[in-house]
Amino acid sequence: MEQGTKEANAHQLTLPIEGMSCASCVRTVEGALDNLSGVEKATVNLAGGKVSVVYDPTRVNVAKVTQAITDLGYAIGVEEARLRVTGMTCASCVSHVETALRELEGVQNAVVNLGLETARVAYIPGLVTPGRMKRAIREAGYEAEEKAAGVEALDREKEARQREIRRQGMYLAFTLPIAMLVMLGTFRDMWILPLFVPEWLGYKWVLGLLTTPIVLGPGRQFFVNSWRGLRHGVTDMNLLYATGIGAAYLIAVINTLWPKAGFGGEGATFFESAALLTTFIVLGRWLEALTRGRTSEAIRKLMRLQPKRARILRDGHEIEIPADEVEVDDVVLVRPGEQVAVDGVVLEGYSAVDESMLTGESLPVEKKAGDQAIGGTMNKTGAFKYRATRVGQETALAQIIKLVEDAQASKAPIQKLADWVAGHFILGVHMLAALVFVFWFFAGYDLFFDPDSAFILSPYKLGEIGVFGFSLLLSVTVLVISCPCAVGLATPSAIMAGAGKAAEHGVLFKNAEAIENASKLQTIIFDKTGTLTKGEPSVTDVVTPDGGPETEDGRLSVLRLAAIAEKNSEHPLGEAIVRGAQARGLQVPDAESFNAIPGHGVEARVDGREILLGNRKLMRERDAVVAPLLPQAEALERDGKTVMFVAVGGRLAGLIAVADTLKEYSVEAIQWLHRSGVEVAMITGDNRRTAEAIARQVGIDRVLAEVLPQDKAEEVKKLQAQGLKVAMVGDGVNDAPALAQADVGMAIGSGTDVAKETGHVILIKEDLRDVVVAIEAAKATMGKVRQNLFWAFAYNTLSIPIGAGLLYPVFKLVVSPEWAAFLMAVSSITVTVNTLLMRSFVPSIRREERRQQAAQRPLVVAATASGGK
Amino acid sequence: MEQMEQLEREVAIRSAATYAGISLAAALAVFIAATLKGGYADVARFGGAIWVFMLMMIVTMPVVTSWFKKRYRQRRTG
Repeated sequence: MEQGTKEANAHQLTLPIEGMSCASCVRTVEGALDNLSGVEKATVNLAGGKVSVVYDPTRVNVAKVTQAITDLGYAIGVEEARLRVTGMTCASCVSHVETALRELEGVQNAVVNLGLETARVAYIPGLVTPGRMKRAIREAGYEAEEKAAGVEALDREKEARQREIRRQGMYLAFTLPIAMLVMLGTFRDMWILPLFVPEWLGYKWVLGLLTTPIVLGPGRQFFVNSWRGLRHGVTDMNLLYATGIGAAYLIAVINTLWPKAGFGGEGATFFESAALLTTFIVLGRWLEALTRGRTSEAIRKLMRLQPKRARILRDGHEIEIPADEVEVDDVVLVRPGEQVAVDGVVLEGYSAVDESMLTGESLPVEKKAGDQAIGGTMNKTGAFKYRATRVGQETALAQIIKLVEDAQASKAPIQKLADWVAGHFILGVHMLAALVFVFWFFAGYDLFFDPDSAFILSPYKLGEIGVFGFSLLLSVTVLVISCPCAVGLATPSAIMAGAGKAAEHGVLFKNAEAIENASKLQTIIFDKTGTLTKGEPSVTDVVTPDGGPETEDGRLSVLRLAAIAEKNSEHPLGEAIVRGAQARGLQVPDAESFNAIPGHGVEARVDGREILLGNRKLMRERDAVVAPLLPQAEALERDGKTVMFVAVGGRLAGLIAVADTLKEYSVEAIQWLHRSGVEVAMITGDNRRTAEAIARQVGIDRVLAEVLPQDKAEEVKKLQAQGLKVAMVGDGVNDAPALAQADVGMAIGSGTDVAKETGHVILIKEDLRDVVVAIEAAKATMGKVRQNLFWAFAYNTLSIPIGAGLLYPVFKLVVSPEWAAFLMAVSSITVTVNTLLMRSFVPSIRREERRQQAAQRPLVVAATASGGK
Repeated sequence: MEQMEQLEREVAIRSAATYAGISLAAALAVFIAATLKGGYADVARFGGAIWVFMLMMIVTMPVVTSWFKKRYRQRRTG
């Protein structure tokens, strides 16, 4: 019997496990789970990477089972669901949806973004399904559906936003004229209104008839939504509106039908309050729907870039197919003015492609055979064929969109306080409304009420309003004037705009925390090789001895001979010399003979002459005197360059210095950073002399030399221990541990393979100035966040006490509910509009570039004009 | 599953009884205080009590419900 009961109570669950590699892992997991009190049977399926557990839920829970597995060093396979959540109006809705999701068994984390209307849920498959999540969201009073990807998602989101704009616009068109009539009717005895407002418009029952369709029509949404929430124990912004509108309307109806009921009588029929309150709230909703979508304009721009069609070659025929049907290795054709459909490598043809939309690079990029073509970019002049290498969700554009979406949906640490406040706001305000009512009902009215007192910005006197009507009025005003929306929107809207704006300039923040940290940076460490420098040696100096042919021709001749001698060499320095000669337009034919002398240099025969190229030791062994060039050689070596002597026919002909050279914008970037007050350091495994030489050239004063790759993270840690906020800029592969250790790891020059990168910020281009762009974008974003938070908190801190009647004892003025609604709507919109100002953000470096381009343009035009004559 | 639904129902009933009780108590307190103080019309006394009841329901409903849910979950996990 006991056995039977036990079996009846037993639950079974299947968990995906990561990290099991052999049969001993199976035994370990099964053993650990079997030892867990309450687990009746655990069976591991190694091939499927799953464990099936039969357990007694009264003695053990899922959390303990998963904990036992993770304690063994294995991971529970977590999947991510992306849902689109509609019906959320403010930050407290975010908190309700997150709570509803997190309460589900198997949900590890849930992050909801109000602006994007998305929920990202990390969950354990088998314990919970996206279907169950959607049900939980619906039960909390909102609508949910699985998020579509790419263009489809864009279309749906746009459609939903348009629908909301249309709906609220229609409501506004309906309520505004009627509310104006109600207001005219209410105040018809004042000023010059009796001259043209008919008397009947001022009748209370006419006002009631006009107000009723407003409250029951457009106002109905607030009552329905708040009831839906309340049924599940959830309170939101709708409830504030509903109680405000409901109370104003109800008092007005009672005072019209039963003027002696004690609610203030005929002098207190607040029909215009109910009408205008509804109108202003609907106006706020409409403006919000208009502006909210614009904060995520950047992601929409990126999504719009996704090409729809592609022209490919199949079986020798040119056919046009949907871009998402292109397969890897398909040959794609691109004509002038067409969009590049997917990522690939150019096979033939020549063109210039505008990549600005993805990399921020303002000038078109030349494309020839062997170059990378990026999907979504715009071909300008020529035509080319390329082989598809990445398609669908693997393309650079898809990866960038995902990264930006992730960043926009994440939460910055600064948001924690705002979230907490917004999450408790509605309850706090209702509690305050109750206290305000009790105070004015039992004490305030007797102490301070004056029948001559009036509403702010209104000639409307409170007159004979009773204690209940007055207390209720102030209590309702507190509900209506408070604005948790402003608090809730302050951070996410700015993060959305900032992350999108940075992406437009080729800077991808992986999350909101990276944006916040980047705005506080004090020290930036640059990796040397491949980051500050090109990472490959190149010829920097060619010197000929006194008495020799010290002319440009002479130097070129020495370089040419050295290049011919090194042509067959595979040594990086030899390759640098060959590249250097070719870059200067020199022909480099094959040598007649060639011999590499390991550790010393090379010897070769060119045009019947013996050429010797190598270090001092080689020259000494072959009796070539290097003394005439020794001072220059030592000076060059002090600058961190490698010097090679060239001897022709046994006589010294010159020397060639080779060094790793700085990237184009390294110096400019460091100067910008110095100017903005950030300390700049360089880290390298090179010897101190070479490192300091490079640091001198680039203008860096702090050098961390001779640091092994594995120790770079330790150096970052040391700086952090000094209390500094540290960023590490590296190439993202060799520097991965240091990038991960830094407060902000910036991976530079990833090109378009953004998904593989380590680091918190990805700079698509090889342009070091983008470090400055990243910092400026982060500072601008956090500046907006602070402004928004300040406004939101300041507004609520000031408006709620005024709404509660704090100024009444002195000034005998109260805020009318309609003014309260208007202020609330303005407050919420102010935050969104302030965020929208981010759209005009241009990094200082780009502004400078544009200024320079604009300055050059008239000269070009003038030159063309004079040429034409 | 059935057992879980039954437990959920139990949580819902208990929390509803609690928040309704608290709100009713607050409303009653307002009504009694107004009556004892005197000088309030019936409409004000009843209206005041109803308004406080509504606000207290709104305040206590989510707090009490989530407290009961938490307690129920803790009991389940032992």
